[in-house]
Amino acid sequence: MRLEKLPAAMAKRLAELECPDFKTTPWVEGPLLSERRVAIVSSAGLVVRGDRVFRGRDPDYRAIPSTTEANDLLCSHISINFDRNGFQEDWNVVFPLDRLNELVAEGAIGSVAATHYSFMGATDPVQMVDGAREVAGKLKADNVDAVLLTSV
Amino acid sequence: MSALGHYLEEEGIATVAIVLIRPQAENTRPPRALFVPFELGRPLGPPSDAAFQKRVIMAALGLLVANRRPSLIVDFSDDDPREAPDPGWRPPIEPTTIPQEAADLAEAVEVELWALARPYAESCVRRERSTVGLSGLAPAACGDYVASWLRGEKRASPVADMSPALALRFAIDDLKAFALEAALTPGTRPSSRQLGDWLWNGTALGAALQTLRRDCLAGDDERLKTVAAFFVPALRVPPE
Repeated sequence: MRLEKLPAAMAKRLAELECPDFKTTPWVEGPLLSERRVAIVSSAGLVVRGDRVFRGRDPDYRAIPSTTEANDLLCSHISINFDRNGFQEDWNVVFPLDRLNELVAEGAIGSVAATHYSFMGATDPVQMVDGAREVAGKLKADNVDAVLLTSV
Repeated sequence: MSALGHYLEEEGIATVAIVLIRPQAENTRPPRALFVPFELGRPLGPPSDAAFQKRVIMAALGLLVANRRPSLIVDFSDDDPREAPDPGWRPPIEPTTIPQEAADLAEAVEVELWALARPYAESCVRRERSTVGLSGLAPAACGDYVASWLRGEKRASPVADMSPALALRFAIDDLKAFALEAALTPGTRPSSRQLGDWLWNGTALGAALQTLRRDCLAGDDERLKTVAAFFVPALRVPPE
């Protein structure tokens, strides 16, 4: 987002939002992209139809199997200050599962994870730690070695 | 999102974030991030543009094989071509006079939802999907519930495990999705601003949600005050 396109007060609030202060930054290396198994982890409050919608700033997560159909993915993010029309027209705008499958077919990446995950991005990130570590365990069990994090 | 990059990477999984607000990424210092200049809500950019979306993904995933840095944040150079309006787009229903009184608005909303039902159904068939469903109610039931609030009727929650206020919030989310999906007319590529201008300035639903927001915030029910903040986007709230 080019913040200069927003009203000054909103741009300032977004730019100055309090963020966790990490003293160090971890860095994991891996094989070539063409050999990587890729998962999507979204902060868009995505839920599979029938699963528990995010009701507020929930700190936990939802699982989204790769077999999920586009008609069964909903966005329950608490914020209404971001565009939903793109997601309504094409779920890949937020959850690019079709694109990842195409990249596998083209040989650009190795494979797509069996399961993807979503958090509620408006939640204090510190409260997401336990859920994130749980998700990491599930991703490792699925042999995922690359995560595409998408925010809204 | 950048914090999740820290948490997952600490557990041994390589990550790259697609971020929409660069200062937040700069403050969180994730392992790797691709800053995209698209509007909020569109991390992959334009809908229905597979080639563009794949360029974004590959620009992000490419950072996974970059040399180690303290925190790698790279800018994606292209803007979203779908931010431009489509002059050929037209609203899905003819404009009508929007009443001012809440009770009249309630009736106008019900009439409008009935008129939108066909374009919505056609849009669902064309896209093979709908994003309506957060409340668990059918669109008509969402309309009935919102209309009852406009009329000042105190109704129990129509959703078993939701308070009346929470059910109202999700019913409103569903009605907005219903109307906006109805507006995805065939052969057009409207921008989000076009669709938003229509919803908030040209429909009884938009006017009704402004009225509900104002009335709930002026009341003394703290639950309603909390959810009312999520009825109308900040950019669409009229100046005081």
